[in-house]
Amino acid sequence: MRVSSNQIFDTGLLGVTRNQADLYKLQSQLATGRRILTPADDPVASAQALVVAQSQSLNTQYIDAQGNAKAQLVSIEGQLNALTDLLQNVRERLVQAGNATLSAADRQAIGTELQTRLEALVALSNATDGSGDFMFSGFMSGTRPFAGDPATNAVGYFGDSGERKLQVDSSRQMSISVAGDDLFMRIRNGNGTFQVQTGGNQLSPPLINQGTATVDAGSVTDVNAWRAAMADTSIWTDAAHSGDLRVVFTVTGGATEYQIYDISDPTIPVALLAAPATYTPGQAIALRSATVDFGANIVINGAPADGDSFTISQSSNQSMFDTFQNIIDALETPISGTAYTNVEYSNAIAREMANIDQALENVSRVRSLVGTRLSDLDALGDVAENNALQYSSRLSELQDLDYAKAISDFTRKQMQLEAALSSFSKTSQLSLFNYL
Amino acid sequence: MSSGLYSIGVSGMAAAQLGLVTTEHNIANATTVGYNRQRTIQVTNIPMMTGAGSVGQGTGVSTIQRMYSQFIAGQVNRAQAGVSELDAYYAEISQIDNMLAGSSSGLSPALQDFFLAAQQVVANPASMSARQSMVSTAESLVNRYQGLYDRLSELASGVNGQIQSTVSSINSYSRQIAELNNRIVIAESSVQQPANDLRDQRDQLVSELNKLVRVQVNEDSNGAYNIFIGSGQQLVVGTQVQEMTATASTSDISKIVVGLKSASGMILELPDRLVNGGQLGGLLRFRTEALSPAFNQLGQVAATMALTFNAQHALGQDLLGQSLGEGNFQSAFFTLPQPMVLANALNTGTASVQASFLVPPPINGHYALDNGVTTAGSYTLTRLSDGRQWTAANLTALQLALPAGEGIDLSSASVGAGETVRLVNAVAQSANFYTNISASDYRLTYDVSGFYTLTRLNDNRQWTTDPAAPPPAQVAADLTSLQAMVAATEGFSFTVGAGIVAGDSFLIQPTRQMADGIAVNVNIANDPRLLAAAMPVRASLGMANTGSGQISNVRTVDGYSSTTAVLPFTLTSGVTAATARVSTTAGAFVAGDYTLSGAAAQFDLTDDTGTITIDLSGTDWSGNEAGLAAEITNQLALAGSNTVASYAAGRLVFTSGETGSAAVQPTVSNVGADLVASGLVAATMVNSGGADAQAVLTIWPAGQNVAVTVGGTTTVYSGATIPYDMTRGATFTVNGISFDLFGAPSNGDVFRIERNAGGSADGRNALALGKLQTQKTVSGGTANYQDAYARLVSDNGNRTRQIEVTGKAQQALLEHAVNTREAMSGVNLDEEAANLIRYQQAYQACAKMLEIGSKLFETLLALG
Repeated sequence: MRVSSNQIFDTGLLGVTRNQADLYKLQSQLATGRRILTPADDPVASAQALVVAQSQSLNTQYIDAQGNAKAQLVSIEGQLNALTDLLQNVRERLVQAGNATLSAADRQAIGTELQTRLEALVALSNATDGSGDFMFSGFMSGTRPFAGDPATNAVGYFGDSGERKLQVDSSRQMSISVAGDDLFMRIRNGNGTFQVQTGGNQLSPPLINQGTATVDAGSVTDVNAWRAAMADTSIWTDAAHSGDLRVVFTVTGGATEYQIYDISDPTIPVALLAAPATYTPGQAIALRSATVDFGANIVINGAPADGDSFTISQSSNQSMFDTFQNIIDALETPISGTAYTNVEYSNAIAREMANIDQALENVSRVRSLVGTRLSDLDALGDVAENNALQYSSRLSELQDLDYAKAISDFTRKQMQLEAALSSFSKTSQLSLFNYL
Repeated sequence: MSSGLYSIGVSGMAAAQLGLVTTEHNIANATTVGYNRQRTIQVTNIPMMTGAGSVGQGTGVSTIQRMYSQFIAGQVNRAQAGVSELDAYYAEISQIDNMLAGSSSGLSPALQDFFLAAQQVVANPASMSARQSMVSTAESLVNRYQGLYDRLSELASGVNGQIQSTVSSINSYSRQIAELNNRIVIAESSVQQPANDLRDQRDQLVSELNKLVRVQVNEDSNGAYNIFIGSGQQLVVGTQVQEMTATASTSDISKIVVGLKSASGMILELPDRLVNGGQLGGLLRFRTEALSPAFNQLGQVAATMALTFNAQHALGQDLLGQSLGEGNFQSAFFTLPQPMVLANALNTGTASVQASFLVPPPINGHYALDNGVTTAGSYTLTRLSDGRQWTAANLTALQLALPAGEGIDLSSASVGAGETVRLVNAVAQSANFYTNISASDYRLTYDVSGFYTLTRLNDNRQWTTDPAAPPPAQVAADLTSLQAMVAATEGFSFTVGAGIVAGDSFLIQPTRQMADGIAVNVNIANDPRLLAAAMPVRASLGMANTGSGQISNVRTVDGYSSTTAVLPFTLTSGVTAATARVSTTAGAFVAGDYTLSGAAAQFDLTDDTGTITIDLSGTDWSGNEAGLAAEITNQLALAGSNTVASYAAGRLVFTSGETGSAAVQPTVSNVGADLVASGLVAATMVNSGGADAQAVLTIWPAGQNVAVTVGGTTTVYSGATIPYDMTRGATFTVNGISFDLFGAPSNGDVFRIERNAGGSADGRNALALGKLQTQKTVSGGTANYQDAYARLVSDNGNRTRQIEVTGKAQQALLEHAVNTREAMSGVNLDEEAANLIRYQQAYQACAKMLEIGSKLFETLLALG
């Protein structure tokens, strides 16, 4: 083939510039450590890298959120521990107060101590986090959740039921707060199903019970029977107040008997038992009508006077503050003859003891909820760490340079360039004119 | 004889001299661009015929030939046009490629920072620094969009400028070629020899022209070139030049398009597809294939992000406690202009066309799965948004029958016989939004027959009112239904003003400007408290609630506005358990639908003074018991039953109207008679509607439409009481407020839905906003923001790579063609050196002949 002189130069130059371009690219790859310098180098991997980078960033979000959630929950757990201690302490005082031999001064002293406990409880319920936001006010972090409510003259709740949530995983939103109404306010009183109180002497109202009978908190033996009875409108005069009962004692000639009345409509008490039953102290009194067993009983000890009574009602909600206040009231009311007897006092202390136990149970329920979330966070954290590792290795696979290969390519190209340069300079020097 | 000797010698010397001159010309022009080597064509002179034979008369040069092949030159030119096209294309597209490369320069880091900041607001909704940081990252994100847009705009105006300068170069070349045509024709016609060097110059100009745009050349018999572009548009004919123009497009003034100026000065726009090859072809291809889609794809992400983000933001509540419809609540987080509509410059009508984005519809990913309800013995999955159903004998088969795109996993589903459960796919985990906006421009035309046609320009899909339009064009009955069709699938709507004239056309660009137009709402930017991180509603449980009923996921959904929502409202749990007690013990008569069964189904009506009301089909009937029997019989007959009711001695008795077999029981189901009565005592009666412990919720204030969704079935109640199934829970939606209620509330438990006053720690809406990052919002709910951006990157990367690879192949083709040309036409200096020696020697030999002739002559003289 015929070759023109221009071709010799052009081809030689082309070989040199091509090799230089390749070397330049390899050098850029080596300098940045990236295989993909622009998306055109590997469009599919580039797009994938963007998607993986987003997953990676999301994972970072989740790890951040988990950190935030953990900080919040740990601080709530701290408050719950303090709350448990406080309630335990009050319970101990209550046990102490239950001792009937206490003098008025002793009771007064315990009452004063419990007054400061109540203040501590209010302070605790109004706890704030690091940024000064109230912890137990639901969404209303700027609103003091617990304060004296002029309407009821008791501590009321001014927050809401909101639970703050964080996205701690792609499919998991975790609550990181506990609303104050759930923790402090909505605690069922009595034994959680019903509450027993002294009902006063029915023969001479408004006198209090005159005998020495004390009552326990009662117990439910058959929950389903209780529920069915409460829902059965045919039993109650006023279905809206189902479960309102009164046990009334009659003492005739040394024999003590009792009758159970439906007082769901207090103006028309209806006797439920076909005939009064004989009372034996310490024996369980089944709550029932003539035909239906309600599946619950109470135990009464001591000797009731004629006309003494105890009332039973379905549990309602009683706040911790009310419970504390009730205890303080029970302690601080002076015992005086017929208006407020030792027996009445004991019954009151026993009743509030049950309420404190309910409060403790509620706190431990919330604690276990928080604890479960914390342990979930640990598990999620492990997953997130693992994912982080996977994402970065995937990104590296997609984008990063295989140095061994790149360096060997570089050396090869370098040799090629050297060969091109040297052959070009030699070929271009050959000319017939040199010999003329 | 000696004179012959002289003349032969002289002819040889002359020929050798011409050879030497030609060789020197070659050597001198060895590096001249476009030079084709020349050689002398030497022929013998006409011999003298003598008796001794034909006596040679020496030599002569017939012509100086240019070593040139039109065919090979054509090959080089075609290859050159291809290379120049791809080079120009690559030079431009690689700039987009570089812009999208890099983890720091693309959209993606800004997008991720923004959503990271959104999560900080979720964690600290009341924190001004978290809000400020979300606003700031939003501004960076917007700036990034604008930066990318500006870069693309620079490329666009660069392309415009290059088109203009290329066109002016083309015109200059055209004129030079025409001039050379003139000179060549004159030169060649005078001497009848080829004007080699002029032709070289002209061929070189053609070759240069091919670098700018691909042209076709044919040569006239007189030696002039005619040059054409595209599908035969003349550029140069002989000495005539038709000028090419670069002017703003009539359909889009921001675009410079090429055209040809006719003799009369009229400018004829050339469609881009007619201009191929060369730099100009490369620029136009780049603009059509890469630049416009890049603008649109980027705008699509920006518009979709802004619209979906705004739709969710509008459902929130800001730190000042305001929600939609209140004070200066900012429903939009981002501001976005409306789609751009450009009227064609040639329009003669006065009509204006307006386009606007549609509010993003919520994602519908809800399904109902039933076992034997729809089809006995089979499982059926129903897509609730459109009622589409799939049925199979078992869950495994059903899973196989489902398209993967539905995103439903049945492996953990459990549904008992006769039951229905509700499933939600991953896409629709919470109420969020998507758009149908596509990354295309649209053209609306109005033709002489009065038909409107809208064309989606990236795939030429058409919607038209022309009934004769062939498929796949979608035919609409009139403009209104055309508009509805477009709105249903394209994410925008448009209106056409009065005064449209046949031939008018409009270019609608929904996404082109969006990356530039997107901005952070300036009010929110100035006051981050206006960021709606909270939800405007919350639920609270009554303090006296003793049941396990819980409300969760209280949220505002599409359709919420503070002006239409009735807040607060309460749901009070009640139990209609009383209905189940009627048969056993005396009690109040309760209204309801009844099934009477047994041979002696009867009411005992012992209270003669009560008033009885029957409500049937909305008509009340009131009267005493005696009249009641006749009325009930009447209604039963209307209901298609043969059962009759009779009344005697305070007792209402139903007896079967069937005769014959005693086995026929007077069973009446759902007679439809609502008995509303008071003061009556019922007995011996089985109530089918009441069942046990029927829980109901009483809503206050009453009269709101409450949509209750249980197990995938939604029922709307507008009365005060709403049935509630404690074992399954339900989702309630009232006036754009939605919540889930589950658990067993006790009788009298109260659930209150109220405004979220003071809810500064509420980050629920920010949470929902954050979830938009991963939701399929773009292109009809098929991709998330990042996916859509990744699509732009990979589309552009693929195209860049394709151009790079094709460019290399084309380059190789060009090299091959150039080599072929060089092999034929190029100057080889060694060859020329050899020729120098050759012609020198020939000259010397001829001179020797003269010397010999002279000596011969002297010999003769000496003889004399």
